[in-house]
Amino acid sequence: MTLSLFDQFLSPVVCWIPLVAIAIMLPWILFPSPTTRWVNNRNLTSQNWFLGQSTSQIFSPINPSGHKWAILLSSLLIFLTTMNTAGLLPYTFTPTSQLSINMGFAGALWMGIVILGMRTQPTHSLGHLLPEGAPALLTPVLVIIETISLFIRPIALGVRLTANLTAGHLLIQLTSTATLALLTIMPITAIFTGVLLFLLALLEAAVALIQAYVFILLLSLYLQENV
Amino acid sequence: MPQLIPTPWLALLIFSWTIFTAIVLPKVLKHSFPDNPTLPSKQNLSKNKWDWSWH
Repeated sequence: MTLSLFDQFLSPVVCWIPLVAIAIMLPWILFPSPTTRWVNNRNLTSQNWFLGQSTSQIFSPINPSGHKWAILLSSLLIFLTTMNTAGLLPYTFTPTSQLSINMGFAGALWMGIVILGMRTQPTHSLGHLLPEGAPALLTPVLVIIETISLFIRPIALGVRLTANLTAGHLLIQLTSTATLALLTIMPITAIFTGVLLFLLALLEAAVALIQAYVFILLLSLYLQENV
Repeated sequence: MPQLIPTPWLALLIFSWTIFTAIVLPKVLKHSFPDNPTLPSKQNLSKNKWDWSWH
């Protein structure tokens, strides 16, 4: 019974068209490419404002030599936010609930950041394995722990996003099934589960935005350490 | 858990990165952030004459 609830995360194929392809390709219609006009329409102006604000927020604490990562991280923010929120609509598929996509972004970007740090400033990057102000006796233990935490970062990054979205969608499916089933049997309880469903949907909307932001924020923190 | 089924893993990974680099990155790159317009200051009114020095 529980296994069939996870079926919503199977990559769906309808008439031999993988719907994940449509889910990834279609939302970009909502983001027009700016042209050389000085004043754009409201849609474009608000997207421009959001992009500029978020990029300056995320990149202000980073060394200016790391600012060349701005395009990658801010477009990834747009990508993840759009994928997450589009997945909240009924009958859509959430690509970011798949481990493959999240691990692909997390692993590749984490590895790029760590390799950049190791190549340009190896002493400084390795120095992060021993936090400042730690007692000298604890050094071996701390280095081992910090190394493990360094290598867990890409897994944690990818799995965090996957798990949050999977759990949210699963909860919504469970509560909606419960509401529908109770509607004929115990309508008052169905109203309560309906209210719960509404609150869950609000939570999921927040989680969709927050998790995308957290992904980018953590990558920017790792960049700060290594650039 | 369906996310662990290995068959579409590589295809999804490559496809998402392809769409990301082919569509999202160019769209975001085209956004520009011009400086805020400033009021004209009185000091800039003293202009030097352009002297067409190559004629």
